Amino acid sequence: MVSALALRGLAYAYPGGRAAVAGVDLALAPGELLCLVGPNGSGKSTLLRLAAGLLAPGAGRVELDGRPLAELRPRERARRIAFVPQALRALPDVDVEGFVLGGRYAHQPRWQSAFRRPGAADRAALARALREADVEDLAGRHLDELSHGQYQRVRMARALAQEAPLFLLDEPSAGLDPEHQVQLFLLIERAVAAGRTALVVTHELNLAGRFAARCVVLERGRVAAQGTPAEVFRPAVLGAVFGPHLYYGTAAADGPDALRPLVVPWPAPDSGHSNR
Amino acid sequence: MGAAGGAAERTRARRVPGGLAALVLALGWVLFLAWALRQGTARTFSWSEVGRGAGGALGLGEGLADLDQTIWRLRALRALVALAVGGALALSGALLQGLFQNPLASPGVLGVTSGASLGASLALAALGGFAPALALGSGASLGPLLVTLGALVGALAVLGPLLVVAGGGARLSVPSLLLAGMAMNALCAGLLAALQSLTLSDFEVARALFAWAFGTLDDRSAAQAGLVWGALLLGGAAAPFVARELDLLAGGEEDAAALGVPVRVLRLAVLLLAALLAAAAVAVVGQILFVGLIVPHLVRLAVGSGHRVLLPLAALGGGLLVLGADVLQRAFLPGVDLRPGVLMSLLGAPFFLGLLLARRRELSAW
Repeated sequence: MVSALALRGLAYAYPGGRAAVAGVDLALAPGELLCLVGPNGSGKSTLLRLAAGLLAPGAGRVELDGRPLAELRPRERARRIAFVPQALRALPDVDVEGFVLGGRYAHQPRWQSAFRRPGAADRAALARALREADVEDLAGRHLDELSHGQYQRVRMARALAQEAPLFLLDEPSAGLDPEHQVQLFLLIERAVAAGRTALVVTHELNLAGRFAARCVVLERGRVAAQGTPAEVFRPAVLGAVFGPHLYYGTAAADGPDALRPLVVPWPAPDSGHSNR
Repeated sequence: MGAAGGAAERTRARRVPGGLAALVLALGWVLFLAWALRQGTARTFSWSEVGRGAGGALGLGEGLADLDQTIWRLRALRALVALAVGGALALSGALLQGLFQNPLASPGVLGVTSGASLGASLALAALGGFAPALALGSGASLGPLLVTLGALVGALAVLGPLLVVAGGGARLSVPSLLLAGMAMNALCAGLLAALQSLTLSDFEVARALFAWAFGTLDDRSAAQAGLVWGALLLGGAAAPFVARELDLLAGGEEDAAALGVPVRVLRLAVLLLAALLAAAAVAVVGQILFVGLIVPHLVRLAVGSGHRVLLPLAALGGGLLVLGADVLQRAFLPGVDLRPGVLMSLLGAPFFLGLLLARRRELSAW
C-alpha cells in the first residue's frame, strides 16, 4: 500500500548549522492517526514543517501518496495537506466565518478577484467544518472574542474546511483545560474516522497513548523509538528520552486494547530534590 | 482574545460600512474638485463658469474666454494630479502595510519615497541642460518618462535591500522595519545631498533639483497627470486580485503559504505595485510624506482591515487628503505658497506622534 505520507532520510539544519532533524524515516498509512512526541527542542515542529512543505529539507524528501511533495504547487499542496501550526504570528482581524473560509482559498480559482463571493461548494464546506468542529454558534464572532479553547477549535474548523486528506497538527491541545484537550482529540479522532490521515505533535502523552494507534518518539532530530503506545510508553524507552521524573500506570479505554498506558510527570521517589 | 478584547470590540462597534465610507469619500472628491475649479490664486469663477469651462475642456461647448479657459485647465490639472498623487501614495502605503503585516510600513517610512526622489534627481541631473524645463514646466515629452523611470528604479533599489532585511520570509518586526527605513532614508538623503553639492556649480541643474526636491502641484502637464493617473488606475485594477491574499497574510507568511497562497509571487507583485505607485507620485510632484502612512490607518479604523474594502478606500481617502489640504490651504492661507510635501509633513508629523501616543499601551509590547 502506498503511504499517505512518507518521510525519507529527512534532514534539516538551522542556518547556524545545528541539526534540527537528522535523518528521519517515517511513513503514515492512509487513515492512520500517528502521534509524535519528544522533549522540547527535539525537532518535532521542524519535522512537521518539512512534512508540510513549508521548509525545504537539507537532505531527503517528503512523499505524498508516493509522489514527491516538492513537485506540488502551493495551492495543490494546500488541497492535500492541512497544517495547523502551534500559533499564528498575529490574530487576523476577521470573524470566525471569514477565518474558516480562508481554508477554502486553495479550492478557488487562482488570483480570483476579491469581489467574487464564495461559491456553493465553499459555503457547504464551511457549514460542514463549523459543524464538525462544533463551532457553529461562534460563526459571527470576531477571533479576539474567543476563549483559547474556542480559538483552537476554530483553527481546526479551518483545517477541516481545507478538505485535505492529510492533517499535520502541531500541539493542537496546548494550553487547553483537560475537558477541552479531550474534546480536541475526539475531534481529531472523528476526522480520522471520516477517512483522514493525521500526524499530531503533542506533549499530552496520555492522550497520545489513548488516541493514536502508533506513537513515535523524537529525540535530537532522530526517531528514538516507535510502536504502539504500550510498546513505547515504558520506563525503558521514555526514561532515556524524558528523564526519570515520570510515573507509569494504566487506564481503561474502549476497544480491543482495553488498557492504555498512563504517563504522568512526577518527581522520581529517589530524586531527593525536596530534601536538600 | 485576552484583555484587549473589550477595547477591540468597542472599536469594531464603531465601524462604518464600506459602501457608506466610499460614498462619503467620493462626495468629498466631488466637493473639493468643484471647489478647486472655482477658486485659485487668480480670479474666482462662478458656478456657471466652472460648468462652461468643463464643457470647453471636453469639447462639448464653447467654453470660456481664452485666458479663463487656460486658468480652468490649469486648475483641473492641478486638482486631478493632487487626487491621483494622494490616491497612489495611500494605496502604496496600504499595500505595504498589508504585505509587511505592519501598520507602520509606508513608502515614506521605508525610504521608498526618498529612493524614488533620489532616482528622479539622478535622472534630472543626467538630463542636464533639459532639466530646468522639465522641473519647472511641462518640458520635453521624453523627459518626464526618464524622470519617472529614474524614480521607479530608485524606489525598487530601496525595496530590494528591505526585503533582505525582512529575512525573505519573516514578518518584518517593527524595530527592524524602522531601523531599515531609517538607514535607507539616511542613505538616500546623503546621496541626494552629494548630488546637489556636485551639481552646485551648474546653476540650472542645481536650481532644477532644488525646485523639484520641494515638490509642487503647480503647472503640471497633462502628460504628468496621465502618468500618475495611469499608475493609480493600474494599482486600483490590480488591488482586488491581491486583496484576499493580503488578508490571508494576517496570520503570518507561513500560515498563508500553508493555505496555498503563492507567497513569493505575491510579495514580488505587491512590492512592484507599491513601488510603481509611489514612484509615479514622486516623479510628478516630488516627495510627499505621511500620506501613505496616515490614510490607510484612518481607513482601517473606520472600516476594518479587510483589504477588499481597505485598498480602494485608501486610494479615495489619499486623493481627498492631498486635494483637500491643497484647496483649503489656498483658500484660507492665500499668500502662503506651501508646497504639498511641506504641508503634508506639517500636518502628518503631529498626527503620527498623536497616533503613537494614543496607542502607546499596545505599542509598548514591541
